[in-house]
Amino acid sequence: MTAAVEVENLSMSYKAPVRKGGLRAAFGSLVRREYKTVQALDEVSFTIAPGEVAGFIGPNGAGKTTTMKILSGILHPTGGAVQVLDTVPWQRRSAFLKRIAFVRGSQPVGGSQELTVMDSLEYQRLLYDVPRATFRRTLAELEALLDLEPLLERQLRALSLGERMRVGLAMALIYRPEVMFLDEPTIGLDVSAASQIREFVQEYVEQTGATVLLTSHYMADVASLCPRLILIDKGKVQYDGPLAELSARLSPYKLIRISTQGDPSPFGEVVDKADGRWVLRVPRDEVAGTTARLLQALEVVDLAVEEPPLEKVIDQAYREGLR
Amino acid sequence: MRTAVLLGFRLRQEVLEWSGAWWFLLTLVVQAVVAPLIGLFVWSAVYPGDPAIARYYVAIILVTLMTESFEQHTFSERIYNGTLSHELLRPQPVVVGVIGMNLAIRAWLTLLGAPIVLLTGIALQVGFDWWAVVRSTPYLVLAAVLVFLWTFLLSLTAFWTDRVHAVVGFGSQLVFLFGGTAAPIGLLPDGLRRVAEVLPFYGMNGLPAEIAAGTRSGGSLLYQLVWVVVLVGVVMVLWRAGIRRYTAVGS
Repeated sequence: MTAAVEVENLSMSYKAPVRKGGLRAAFGSLVRREYKTVQALDEVSFTIAPGEVAGFIGPNGAGKTTTMKILSGILHPTGGAVQVLDTVPWQRRSAFLKRIAFVRGSQPVGGSQELTVMDSLEYQRLLYDVPRATFRRTLAELEALLDLEPLLERQLRALSLGERMRVGLAMALIYRPEVMFLDEPTIGLDVSAASQIREFVQEYVEQTGATVLLTSHYMADVASLCPRLILIDKGKVQYDGPLAELSARLSPYKLIRISTQGDPSPFGEVVDKADGRWVLRVPRDEVAGTTARLLQALEVVDLAVEEPPLEKVIDQAYREGLR
Repeated sequence: MRTAVLLGFRLRQEVLEWSGAWWFLLTLVVQAVVAPLIGLFVWSAVYPGDPAIARYYVAIILVTLMTESFEQHTFSERIYNGTLSHELLRPQPVVVGVIGMNLAIRAWLTLLGAPIVLLTGIALQVGFDWWAVVRSTPYLVLAAVLVFLWTFLLSLTAFWTDRVHAVVGFGSQLVFLFGGTAAPIGLLPDGLRRVAEVLPFYGMNGLPAEIAAGTRSGGSLLYQLVWVVVLVGVVMVLWRAGIRRYTAVGS
């Protein structure tokens, strides 16, 4: 099976003008400008299979959005090879553009802001050559999934951030793209709006088998949508694999959440305790033994073994790198 | 055919979009008519008994309103704020959107500026030979194309500089000086007149206005067409270089 997205040794560098502070340096730069090369991406390689949902995470400035822009065709890289749906994206051929969507949480809806949502969707229908019958069917589905009906007659400029994101997704999905690049789709949204977007993406992928590459700083997005994680930092891929494996690799501990009237502190490091509920940190390879000993020694009302919070794991990866 | 449908739809969109900014459009109308009005007052004072001067300048006002281009406010802003990326990802040539917006603004300017033209004409008792007005139509169409190409060309410099308004402002001054607004080019000194007749600016304003006003019975469409071809060529070269730069640096 051909990969939906194939990235090989992708590099991107910029030449940024630099100069020292002060009048002398300012005059000097009129005659001789100095540049510094910024390496945004450095030999990045990965492939994404058709129908796969991959999370693309990394700290600010890691190169996530640059990669997304290259994969969607906005940017032309300085090195490496990229194929999306067997096409070189930056050639921006119409046939290719009709098969992909790039939705940015920071700018979910482009185009005329005075238009109503329905007018904008109608324009998308024309632009992407969607047959009327298919358009009506897809619109009905999107209306149900994204609760679009109350928004259809509203002008784009009058929509709230959450509504703009829902409309942005509807405009991108009305032509049923096979590959979606979602760049921070839940940025700035409240908990329920973010959860609604996540559920929608999940349902869309299940229904259509679309391939998705998603960047987000919210680990809830990544944990709920992406079985696979690609972690990028300083323009290099630091990790590519299942989420659980990353967690195990970074955190040699698990958390045992226990409700008991006894004192479980001798069994592990106490992370939290309140009203008879304790959270213990225990080395991964001792979890089974410790759990058995706890059940024997104490009267346990409830016990659960959990992975450490993903936020903590990822924060550790950003700060300390991968071991 | 598909491009025509998309252009039509985009035009409709943009007419709607700009209907919400009528106050801004009014300022554009004022900016567009001030220079020809000054020309009208000055040259009417110099030649008080010549009705052709008033007729010519009323025609110039109308031509200016119908051909005015503002790509430095529209297209260049998209480069600056990064929304050009949205256009690049659409399966249609980016220029379709630019032309749609251009035509919408011109339609609004003509509509909002029509009362000014009418009032000026009535106040100065200007009468037109309507056959001459009809004959000026192809010249007007080519003038509209030339003004668009010229403004779009200068607006493309936004790929390299964030001072696009200064660049386009300079270009507009050339149109003002050599296009027949500062003075009908027949009144310019011989040397300047010969230069003005060769440059593209006369074809943008003065030529269609002179034909509509009946001060010139025929002109060279070929002269306008040659400049259209030249400017299309230069725009294409600059567009490719600009897009290469945009897609190398991003937004």
